[in-house]
Amino acid sequence: MIEVKDLCKRYDGRAVLDGINASFAPGEVVALVGPSGGGKSTLLRCLNGLEPFDSGSIRVGDDVLEPGALRASGARVSNIRRRVGFVFQQWHLFAHRTALGNITEAPRYVRGLDAKAATELGRALLEKVGLSHREGAYPSELSGGEQQRVAIARALAMEPEALLLDEPTSALDPERVGELVELLSRLREDGLALVTVTHEMRFARELCSRMLVLHGGRILEEGTPAQVLERPRHERTRAFLGLERVVRQEAPVGLEPGTTGIATVFPAATARE
Amino acid sequence: MNVSAVWRGAGALLVLSVLMTSCVQRREVGLERVRRAGELRWGADAQGGEPYAMEDPDVPGRMRGFEVELADALARELGVRARFVQNDWSSLIPSLERGSFDVALNGIEITPARSGRILFTRPYFIFQLRLMARRDDDSVTGLASLKGRRVGTLANSQAWDLLQREGIHAVPYEGVQEPYIDLEQGRVDAVLMDDLIAQRYGQPRAVLRVVGDVGEGYYAIAVRPGDEDLRAALDVALGHIARSGELRQIFARWNIDSAAQQRMVEWSDAQTREVLAQTQTPHLGWAQWVMFLQAALVTLVVSVLAMALAVPLGVGLALARLFGPRWLGRLASLYVELFRGTPVLLQLYVLYYGLAGVLRLDALSAAVLGLGLNYAAYEAEVYRAGVLAVPRGQMEAALALGMSMRLALRRVVFPQAFRVALPSATNDFIALLKDSSLVSVISVVELTKRMTITAVDVRGWLLPGALCAALYLAMSYPLSLLARRLEARLERG
Repeated sequence: MIEVKDLCKRYDGRAVLDGINASFAPGEVVALVGPSGGGKSTLLRCLNGLEPFDSGSIRVGDDVLEPGALRASGARVSNIRRRVGFVFQQWHLFAHRTALGNITEAPRYVRGLDAKAATELGRALLEKVGLSHREGAYPSELSGGEQQRVAIARALAMEPEALLLDEPTSALDPERVGELVELLSRLREDGLALVTVTHEMRFARELCSRMLVLHGGRILEEGTPAQVLERPRHERTRAFLGLERVVRQEAPVGLEPGTTGIATVFPAATARE
Repeated sequence: MNVSAVWRGAGALLVLSVLMTSCVQRREVGLERVRRAGELRWGADAQGGEPYAMEDPDVPGRMRGFEVELADALARELGVRARFVQNDWSSLIPSLERGSFDVALNGIEITPARSGRILFTRPYFIFQLRLMARRDDDSVTGLASLKGRRVGTLANSQAWDLLQREGIHAVPYEGVQEPYIDLEQGRVDAVLMDDLIAQRYGQPRAVLRVVGDVGEGYYAIAVRPGDEDLRAALDVALGHIARSGELRQIFARWNIDSAAQQRMVEWSDAQTREVLAQTQTPHLGWAQWVMFLQAALVTLVVSVLAMALAVPLGVGLALARLFGPRWLGRLASLYVELFRGTPVLLQLYVLYYGLAGVLRLDALSAAVLGLGLNYAAYEAEVYRAGVLAVPRGQMEAALALGMSMRLALRRVVFPQAFRVALPSATNDFIALLKDSSLVSVISVVELTKRMTITAVDVRGWLLPGALCAALYLAMSYPLSLLARRLEARLERG
């Protein structure tokens, strides 16, 4: 359980986060959406202790993250990071380690598992993300989708309670998005809390139980994807969604919600709508 | 590049150097050339100092010394002007041969090896080989007491030859002051030099004593083979100024005259022939090969130890600049600028001679320390660049997994930085291997110094040069191969 209270962050005199209150529970998938510069990515990075903030608090279980320099609160930040995994938009796999090596690094040196146990865990996770056959490959030898799966497995190796994903679909071929939805659905069923920043409304609709619309550092609107996407309460949400629709129509492979594509391939993923 | 390409390259180099040496040919004969030019160009080393030839401390650019006056007198006799040409003392003979000046006139002793290689005029000065030791060291009583011990002198001098013959470990120096500094410091057990040098540079030192004079020799003017007419003219001129009393007057002005010099006045051509009769044409024998290999070993040891010092120190400096507190980073930057921005030769001099009073290092340790400290500055920059080349995201990803900064650096950033830095570090090590030749200025006989000594001994630069080059290549090429293999292995990741 992650609880965010009155989170504020200013940058260059501008409020990037302006009193965010939210909570993320196990087994739910929350999408953070909104226009660029609305604070989605900053909020996500704060949840993992990658970004310091000015006031408010973030609580993960009994670990609390307080305002101020991150270095000063070393051990507390490390604890939070162990409990909350992060999957970067560009994955940032360790370039000098194989797929397996990327996954075993943290269990081995942060959790203190021995080499054998770490390797077993790594292999199990590679199997879970469907990459058992690629364990010896280096990041430069993996496709984008494969790298993302390794990055997810790497985060899971810390056995986190929550997983944060920054724009997970942005570097994927559209046909790979379905596979990602399927993988993340399984993680949700394992009881993880998933929080994802996304621009892809269809992805959000397929996967998420809740949507937060961020604008100007505030939560503008909150609800199920169906509520937010079909009956937006706020004028700005409507404007933003309209813009997204235009962008999407220019995308090379167009899959209209409810017609073909993800909804038909993965009916389970859309059942919640 | 494969092995055969290297051999092709080496072959081409050899052919080139053969061509270059054969192209150096004289156009006209000595005396004619001197007369036409209106000047007698004489080569000497101002570093040799008093009383030979040195820069006038009051009038920079003007030379003074008894040989300066001698050169002026001889030129006057030939009806031309004398012009001084600066040249390192140890390479005066090769420079004379390749035509940098008409004659070499700088306390050059008549030795059998030199007599076999170049022309000598009649001698102009008789010197004694003077042995000096420390006052507090009674064990030095003469050459016999010095077998196997370290005695400093100038390389390829008469004293050098004598020490070699007596089975004494001769330590070569390039200047006249340094051997006496080292004797004071206990880095050598004795110094054997011409009495003129001992008087000026050794005897004034209170802690040193004269053991005795152990030999006698002659200074003569060296002339290029083929310039027999120039030699004959100089012989006549020398005889003239000796008999007129001018020669001894010059000596007297410089406080180097003695009754013994009267023999120079009464000198006969028969005596010249007798002195020059003993010639020697040494060749590259087994002994020289062994010495070359030993010198290569010295080069390798100095380089490896210096690098072993430079790497950890460089890492420390790089870390201080990247992650240390501001004052430490500044200090590290200062170190890098200081050691990278001044010549390593200067650093070696300061470390070995300049700090001799406070830091008593033997030559080998000073060589390792000097090169190591210098290369640490370069390594620091290479490693810093390596760390900066690792994308930020790598560090962030490691932190996001709960790693501490320290763990993230150790497990994620440094291994990747190493891969970036490896080619430059290899490059530096090969450069160090070659730069190690500079330590000869602090009397370490490494490969290049051995080559110069041998080249002068055997009257040729080609074979010793090729041998020297081959040994350097034999040391650096396997290293390149190793580094390339390592890079290829890291490349995958």
